[in-house]
Parts: sequence; C-alpha cells; structure tokens
Amino acid sequence: MKLITMTRRAAAASLLAMTGAAIAPAAVAQEDFPTKPVRILVPFGPGGLADITMRLAAEKFREILGQQFVVENHPGAGGVAAANELLKAEPDGHTLIVMSNGTTIATSLFETLGYDPQEQFAPISTLAWFDLGFFVNPESDYEELTDVVSYAQENPGMLNIGTINPGSTQNLSAEYFVAVTGIDANIITYRTSPDILAALIRGEIDLVFESPTAFASAMESGQAKILATTGSQRNPSLPDVPTAEQAGVEGYQVEGWNALWTLAGTPEPVIETLHEAIVEVANMPEIQERFAELNTRAQPLTPEEMAERFEADRAQWAQVIEDAGIETR
Amino acid sequence: MSDTFLNLGLGFQTALSLENLMFCMFGVTLGTFVGVLPGIGALATISMCLPLTFYLDPVSAIIMLAGIFYGAQYGSSTASILLNLPGSAPAAVTCLDGYPMAQQGRSGVALFLTTIASFIGGSFSIMLMIVFAPMLASVAISFSSAEYFSIMVLALVAASTLSNGSFLKGVTMTAVGILLGLVGTDISSGTARFTFGSVTLSDGISLVALAMGLFGISEILTNLSRGNYTAIDPRSITLRSLIPTRADMRRFWPSSGRGTLIGSVVGILPGTGPTIATFMSYAAEKRIAKDSSIFGKGAIEGVAAPESANNSSVQAAFIPTLTLGIPGDAIMAVMLGALMLHGITPGPQLIINQPELFWGVIASFWIGNLFLLVLNIPMIGLWVRLLTVPYHILYPAMLFFICIGVYSVNNSSFDVLIALIFGVLGYGMMKFGFSPAPLLLGFVLGPLLEEHFRRALLLSRGDLTVFVMRPVSLLFLALTLLVLLLSMRWFRTLPRRFGRKALQRNE
Repeated sequence: MKLITMTRRAAAASLLAMTGAAIAPAAVAQEDFPTKPVRILVPFGPGGLADITMRLAAEKFREILGQQFVVENHPGAGGVAAANELLKAEPDGHTLIVMSNGTTIATSLFETLGYDPQEQFAPISTLAWFDLGFFVNPESDYEELTDVVSYAQENPGMLNIGTINPGSTQNLSAEYFVAVTGIDANIITYRTSPDILAALIRGEIDLVFESPTAFASAMESGQAKILATTGSQRNPSLPDVPTAEQAGVEGYQVEGWNALWTLAGTPEPVIETLHEAIVEVANMPEIQERFAELNTRAQPLTPEEMAERFEADRAQWAQVIEDAGIETR
Repeated sequence: MSDTFLNLGLGFQTALSLENLMFCMFGVTLGTFVGVLPGIGALATISMCLPLTFYLDPVSAIIMLAGIFYGAQYGSSTASILLNLPGSAPAAVTCLDGYPMAQQGRSGVALFLTTIASFIGGSFSIMLMIVFAPMLASVAISFSSAEYFSIMVLALVAASTLSNGSFLKGVTMTAVGILLGLVGTDISSGTARFTFGSVTLSDGISLVALAMGLFGISEILTNLSRGNYTAIDPRSITLRSLIPTRADMRRFWPSSGRGTLIGSVVGILPGTGPTIATFMSYAAEKRIAKDSSIFGKGAIEGVAAPESANNSSVQAAFIPTLTLGIPGDAIMAVMLGALMLHGITPGPQLIINQPELFWGVIASFWIGNLFLLVLNIPMIGLWVRLLTVPYHILYPAMLFFICIGVYSVNNSSFDVLIALIFGVLGYGMMKFGFSPAPLLLGFVLGPLLEEHFRRALLLSRGDLTVFVMRPVSLLFLALTLLVLLLSMRWFRTLPRRFGRKALQRNE
C-alpha cells in the first residue's frame, strides 16, 4: 500500500516540476548542462548486456561532457524500480534511464505498471542494438532453420523450444515464431541462460532462443550450434549466419535495443546536447569495436525516430501477447 | 592417475607463485570480512572487484575472486552463531544450534568447530574435484527436472524433522513457507500470484530480506521484550573457553564427515546445492542421533554437519562452472563473466587448453582453505568479544547493518520494509512456539519443487511415470520412502518381531 502512495506522490511531484519547467522555458541554457554528475538508472542487475554497454558509454560521455556519468542498477520487474527513481528526480537532464524493448513488452504485459514511459519520459536516442540467435544441439540433424520448422510440421506438438522467463524478449520471440510459422510446439521456460544451455546439451530441448552474447562461449566450445539470427540484417560478428528471413522464414524479425530516455519536460536544448553526445559515442571506432565484441551494434536514433520505434514495438508485442493468449499481470 | 599428480604439480607450481599467493590471501581475507557482515555478501563484493581484475593475469584474477567467495562462506557462520543473523539460506541452518551455543557462552567453541568443519568439507571436495572433475560435471548436467524433483522431495521429507516440538507446527510452517515462495511471477506460465496488483511483488519476496527478518530482527525484538539482557563478562572469555572438550570432539568428527559426504554429493547440482546440502545434513544428524531432543539447544552435531556440508558443496559448485561453463548461481555467473572478459572460454576444453589455469585455481583453493584456517582461529577471540558490547549499542548497530545489507542486494527500500515485516512476524512465531527454519526451507524449495514437477511433466507430455522410469529419480524416490518408513515405529521394530517369530517357530 505504502508503495503505491509513494509512486503517486512521486508522480505528482514530477507533474508539478513539469508545470514549473513549462512556465519557465529554457531557464537552463544549453551551456549550463551538465552542472553536476549525471545518473544513469539501469533497470537490470550488474553484468548484463545493457549494463556493460552503458558502462562503456558512460566513460565516453564523461570525456565529452566533462561530468561524471554514474551507472546505478535498480533491477526489478518491468523496470518499475528504476522508473520510480527517475520520477523522484528533477526534469533537468541530470537523471537518465535505460529503456529497452523489454519496456515496450512490459507496458502490455503489466496491467498496472505504475508509470507510462510514453507520457512521463522523453526519448533521447538508442545506443545498442542486438538480435537473438536460433540455437540447436550440434549433434542433432538440424542443418538449417527450415529443418526445424519441417520437423515441427511433421510431428505436431513434439518440438521443444527453450527460453528464459515467460514475458522476456526471448520468450515472446519464440511465441512470435510459433505464430508466424504456424507450427505446434512446446515452449518451455527456464530461470537462466545457463539452465537452458544445460537443457540443450542433455537433449531435453530442440531449439533455443537466446542472445549470441549469452551463448558466445557455448558456440565457441561446440556446445551449441547457431542456425540463424533474428535481425533485419546479419549480425556483424557472425557474417556466415543467415537471418531468419534469409533462412526461409518470411516475415519474422526481432531486434532488441537499449536506449537512453529522461523525464518528460526536460528542456529541449538539454536533450539536444545529450543526443549529440550519444551520436558521437556511437560513431567512435573504439565503441563500435567493443560493442561488436559483445555481439551488439552501436547505432543512434533521433528522439522522434526513437518515439516511433517504441510505439511500433509496443504495438507488435501487444499483438504477440494477445495472439499467444498470454495472461497479463 | 599419474597424469593427475603431474597436473596437480603444475597447479601447485602456479598457485604457489608469490603473486598468486598474495592474491589468494587478499581474496580470502576480504571474503572473511564481508562474510561476517550480514547481507553484504560475496556477490556484491565480487561484482565490485570485477573491474580490478582487468589489470590482472586471468589466473590471479580467478584465484582472488574465488577466494572472496569461499572466504565469505567461512565468515558467514560468524554472524549466524553470534547474532542469529543468517545472510543466506545455508547460514540459517547454522543458526539453529550455533546461536543457542553462543547463548550458553560456548560461542568460542562453536566458531572454532565451524572453522574446522569448513576446512574438512572444503578440503574433501577439492580432492574430489582433482580426481573426478570431468566425470562429475557430466553427471551433474545429465540431471533433468525429474531428478531435481525427486531430490527435492527427499530434502523436504528428510527435513520435516527440522522444527523442535510439535510436528504439526513444523508442517504448518513449511506450508506457509511454500505459500510465501509462490508470491511473484510463475516461471512456467508467467502468471502473477499473490501480488495483489503490485508490480514490485511480481519479482517475489527477497530471500535475504526474509531470512534477516525472521531470524535477526525477530531475535532483537524477543530479547528486548524479555528485558533481561545480560552482556557477557569480557573476563569470562579465556583461551580455555575457546577450546572444545574431548567429548565435544568425539561428537564432532563423525558429524563433520557425514556433512562433508552429503555436501559433496549434492553440491555439484547447479543452483540449489548448498541449501539442500545443509538442510539435508542437519536432518540426517537429527535422524540418526540417539537423543534428537538436544538439537536446537546447542548440539555440536547441528553445527558441524551443516558447516562441513556447506563448504564442501560450495567448493564442488566450481566443477560445472569450470568444466562445462555452466554456472550454478549468480556468483558463479559473475565468475564466468570474469573469465570471459579475459578472453577465456570456460567449457569442456578448459582443462586441455588452459591446464595451468584450471589446476592452478584448484590448487589455490586448498591453499586458500589453509589460509582461512590460520586466519580464522586467532580471530575467534576477537569476534566473541562482539557479544560483550552492551545491547543499547549492539542492537541499533545490528539493525543498521541488516537494513544496509538487505538494501544493497537490489538497491531496494521495499526489501527493507519486507525484512521489518518478517521481523515482527518472526517475533510472533517465536512467542507461539513456531520455528522459522521449516518456513525458510519451504520458501526456498517449494517453488523449485513446483517448477521442476511442471517442467518434467511438460517434457514428458504429461506422463507421470517419468519420475519412476528414470533410474536416478527412482533412486531418490526410493530413498525418500526409506526415510519415511524409518521414521515409523512399526517399521523399525519389524526385524525384531520377525526374528522373534522365527525363533518361536524353531522351538
């Protein structure tokens, strides 16, 4: 109960602050930003892809803008913990939040998320883009993605697909795949990526949806074989692996992204400064290289494109959730 | 076999280099200290030290990080014994008899014995690792959901004797624990259960918050309400009071041995190893004891067995991580991340491609355990003095550390609130004679039991015979049945009655 009132109070405070900012527009001149260390709120625990890419970028932001960029981890379902931290802050651009395709799923998956990113937050830019891989056991007979699909078509209900938690990008991508190909398969969920790898090795599941980053060492040591990736283009780190569409699954595409957003009502020039910094960082050869090592791609979007992308993904996942008959929480 | 000794020689050569020795010592010392602080555990420390390892040689880096990890296991028993503050589920088992020992003024003995027990458990597991690592890893990975389910059934049944007094109260608490464990998002269907619309609760209740509340905060409340807190006289802590009697040691050795065996068998299972190992070994001690009423009142066996089990399982947890690249828990996952940052791929090829890393790290484990023994025994006197701090200073300090510790796990103030709520609940439970240990066990194992049961059935397309058709699963179910039968009086007296009948017939 306490929590809900806190959220309301925080929301009210931020609304008030937004009004204040609207009455005194551009009170903060562009050259005055940033005047103190900037916090980056990450809605995941330390060590994950979003966390590592943000930490790499934060170091570069400091070099460009001359202030510390501090990465804070506030893990929690649907990004609520991080969002609540942001809603307590001032809309002056000194507090940023990492939004991801996971947020676009959460807005449809949770009935009462407690915050509305499209209303309360303002987009700045994407930073990292990543795809998922289709993995099989190297000892299996599957050579191409279409082999898996035809096996499932010939043996309805026999194919086991493994993903992490229900409602995750990996899980919904599998649901989406089942819907696009029209196959009858079991989607079995596990707690962690290593659990899935173990299940794949002992032959309990046939197909895994997981990021090539998480399965990098499994690929290298021959514990898992990648058949295709889900992106719109081939993964630069895996040039020999076709995309799902190239491998014969028409109309199937999933791309994940991590982006920086801040509070709605933040002065336009401040967002502009931050956006330019991200564009500069994303184009640095060093960042491009480090991101490629992590099987991810650095690429910015304008705030407008970001807002459109968010809405497009939200609509797509809402459809997948509805088609798959997933219960909202 | 000669290969093994050759490899081991290489390992010790690597681990005994001055640099690696220093990193090992640094790791275990740091680990001991963070282990003593409730809540601020090995995971947070290892994550913080991760950036430091960029500048180290990968072997030194892993030796140091691993040292923090098992060093923290030694330290974690300290807060459990002295203050009833478990930082993890396995440590809660140490509270059961360790804390009563401290209340009887035998905290020095308890700490001394846990250190020795940890050393025995750790050392045995390392030997096991040296000889059988590759084989054990493939055994561990071949366990599917059906096997996990059967092992957990055995653990729950074996541990049903955990509570003192009323059997009904114990079962009630286990059930309450299972219900609390169900709070959050169901792993099989994604449905939110018992969250009352709160998104924060959809992640479930934090284990650290629950354990700290039920054990630590409720203990503070109980002592305050009793009002007759008497600080221990510092002069009573003599060197002699730290040394266990010969009778203590006679009870200690067999328990520690049994705990070590259970720990090393259960420990290689990714994920649940240490928790199941400690609860099972405690339950086993209680079952075979001539007089089970001494448990919960400061029994040596109740400290020795779970501590040995904990450390042997913790050390065994490295087997799947290093040989298969499959980490069993969050700490092992961070450790794996550290290896990958150095461009090393943990997996089946690690032993062949990087022998000095694999064997060096294993050799360092044993050296680290030796360090810990030397480090911890002189420290006991110092830790015991903690109890001489007057309560008007000790209790606020404890509450402070509990709050910091619980908060630091997820940067979440909601978790602190949860800990306080369970503190009040635990106080009420204590007043009415309900013990918190079965609740904790239900909380940890209940949801896992359900998860594996449902996944096993999903994989078998709803065929229930999967649990008896798989030999390992059948074995554990048979063991469960045996434990159940042994606890029934008519079964135990069966051989005697049969013998008598046969005798009568012969006459």
